[in-house]
Amino acid sequence: MIIRKPGLIATRRTALLGAAALAGTAAASRLGMPYIANAAAAEPIKIGLILAKTGQIVDQAEYLANGTFLALEQAGNKVLDRPVEIIWLDEPSPQVAQQNAQKLIEENKVTALIGGALSSNCLAISSVAKRMKVPYVANNAAAREITGKDCSRYTFRLQPPVPVQARALAPYIMGYGKRWYFMTAGYAFGQDILHTFTDLLKQAGGTVVGQDEVPLNTSDYSSYILKIRQAKPDLVLGGVSAQDLSTFLKQWNELGMRGKIPFAEIAVGDTDIWSVGPEAATGIFTSLWWYNNPNNSPEDKAFAAAYLKKHGKPAADKAWMGWFAMRSLLGGIELAKSTDPEKIVDGLENWKVMAGDVAMGYRKFDHQMMMRTLVVETKANITDKWDYFDVKAALPEKVADLPAVFGSQEEVGCHM
Amino acid sequence: MLDVILSQAVNGLVLGFLYVLIAVGLSIIFGLLGVVNFAHGSFFALGAFFAVSLYQYFGWAAVLLSPVLVGAIGMAVEVTLIRRLYDKEPLLSLIMTFALALLIEALIRLVWGGAGVPFSGPRFLAGFVEYGPILMTKYRLFVLLTTIGLLFALWAFFAFTPFGRILRAGSRDAEMVGLLGINLPWVLTWVFGLGCMLAGAAGLLAAPLWTVNPTMAAGAIMPAFVIVTIGGLGSYGGAIIAGLLVGVVTALTIQFKPEASAAAMYVLMAVILLIRPRGLLGERWERFE
Repeated sequence: MIIRKPGLIATRRTALLGAAALAGTAAASRLGMPYIANAAAAEPIKIGLILAKTGQIVDQAEYLANGTFLALEQAGNKVLDRPVEIIWLDEPSPQVAQQNAQKLIEENKVTALIGGALSSNCLAISSVAKRMKVPYVANNAAAREITGKDCSRYTFRLQPPVPVQARALAPYIMGYGKRWYFMTAGYAFGQDILHTFTDLLKQAGGTVVGQDEVPLNTSDYSSYILKIRQAKPDLVLGGVSAQDLSTFLKQWNELGMRGKIPFAEIAVGDTDIWSVGPEAATGIFTSLWWYNNPNNSPEDKAFAAAYLKKHGKPAADKAWMGWFAMRSLLGGIELAKSTDPEKIVDGLENWKVMAGDVAMGYRKFDHQMMMRTLVVETKANITDKWDYFDVKAALPEKVADLPAVFGSQEEVGCHM
Repeated sequence: MLDVILSQAVNGLVLGFLYVLIAVGLSIIFGLLGVVNFAHGSFFALGAFFAVSLYQYFGWAAVLLSPVLVGAIGMAVEVTLIRRLYDKEPLLSLIMTFALALLIEALIRLVWGGAGVPFSGPRFLAGFVEYGPILMTKYRLFVLLTTIGLLFALWAFFAFTPFGRILRAGSRDAEMVGLLGINLPWVLTWVFGLGCMLAGAAGLLAAPLWTVNPTMAAGAIMPAFVIVTIGGLGSYGGAIIAGLLVGVVTALTIQFKPEASAAAMYVLMAVILLIRPRGLLGERWERFE
């Protein structure tokens, strides 16, 4: 029999098949419930990454991003059994970094923010994270305010602030003499270095023989180097970062100053030194991590091997910082067992990993990562195109000294 | 004190010559084609990156090909993109060349990576020369002499060759030059290529001094624009005087007021434009009025 209706032609068999399909769907609906529930659970957790795609910090940002993505890959691209989606926006200026943080939170509905390669951008992002109550992990910025007077319940910071690294480096470089020349960049990081080291130098009875504030993205330092040459200091203390540091060291060597006056700086990026080249590289620096440090933890060594395998070149310190910061964020979310911002903040406060005898984790009262600082010195003869540094020390030597080195709550001035 | 000033002034002059080389290409393209080439800094960066790769694969002699390659790319860009903008409003050429600058930077990042590439000058140019208070590295002296040589050759080319005369005539009255049976579009392609080649030559010379990275264009394009504006848009001689002025003023500001050094060239530009809005040697050009 054929049922005929305008617009519809169906055999009885088709009608029966249709009915069976409907029944099947109804039966499957009960079985299907977990499927629907899984579909909800599989909704991605979004993380906003704010790292430079252009500008003077882009070299470092590339490694920070590579490390971030590697940490996610090693976690199976998942957290809380849900896929993770990273949305990466640029940070060409503090204003744009701030707008992008807001956009990520309001439009993309991210669960957390990570990044902010420059201190000024980091402070801008941190203010948005605080206002909108979204956890934020700063993976590179070193200015003291981030976990100091401008600290926030929602901001966590990996890099030890300027005073901590300064206290680690100062005793080493005092040995070269106490007449120092400062050449620092005219923004938060450089100014922090200038003030901190000036205090340390004066406490040790030293003198500042010269002091230049250098604009960002300076392409020629020869006039500054001539001034340093006239002042004849015992040591030059730098406070310029990323490609500005590379350009300075290149021209420092060109003008014959390498080996004549020692140069020191905190928080150097490996990429800054690699771009200088083996003939021109020089200096004594602090660093958080060095790929060829024999004392690296097994996890760090595994990370270095995975990075080398994936990218065909050694991991820079910034890659490790990107990796470690992302690892801490994912760990914090896992501990929170939720995407609720308050619970993630608690999770981040409780996240810890062992590195030798140090339990690395964010300190509760200022959200500063507690870790040792390395003092590294450029090799006199560099024979490998990557292996530039000798690790001179990991400070403080005693774990019990860590809280004092990082400063008390009163000293750092953080009141959340 | 006089020693200090002399030392900084000479250093500024040398730096100024490098700026002049960057700016002259920009000035020629604007003066003859009427195009404000925002991508000029990117051609400068390309010159540096080509030099690095040519040196790695073929040695020092091959780096001389770097400006030629940049010039060839410039000609290809003129034929495919810039040519369509000559009869359009100037804003379009600004937008197009700005987009081109971003594209070239992205391509550099894709080919050479985002990080800086180490590069030093040849060993025979290492070391420096000292004369009283004046300290000059051999490499900077080489840059100075090369730039003077290039500028002189360029002047002779424009002043004494038939091609140079066609270029100058074409920039004033393209229609008349066309009526005389000269293939002006092809000539303009060469002009754009020449401007880009000069940017490439500056990039090659700057590579051992500056950090070779994808964003190095930014350090070149701003001084170049300031110099072209101070010198007078399209003025060859003006660009030379302005470049040297910018170099010396910046060096002296670093000596006496380092925190103001980034602003020094802009203040100089503002002062000169207030006194002489056309720039130092700017002429009244019918087509830009």
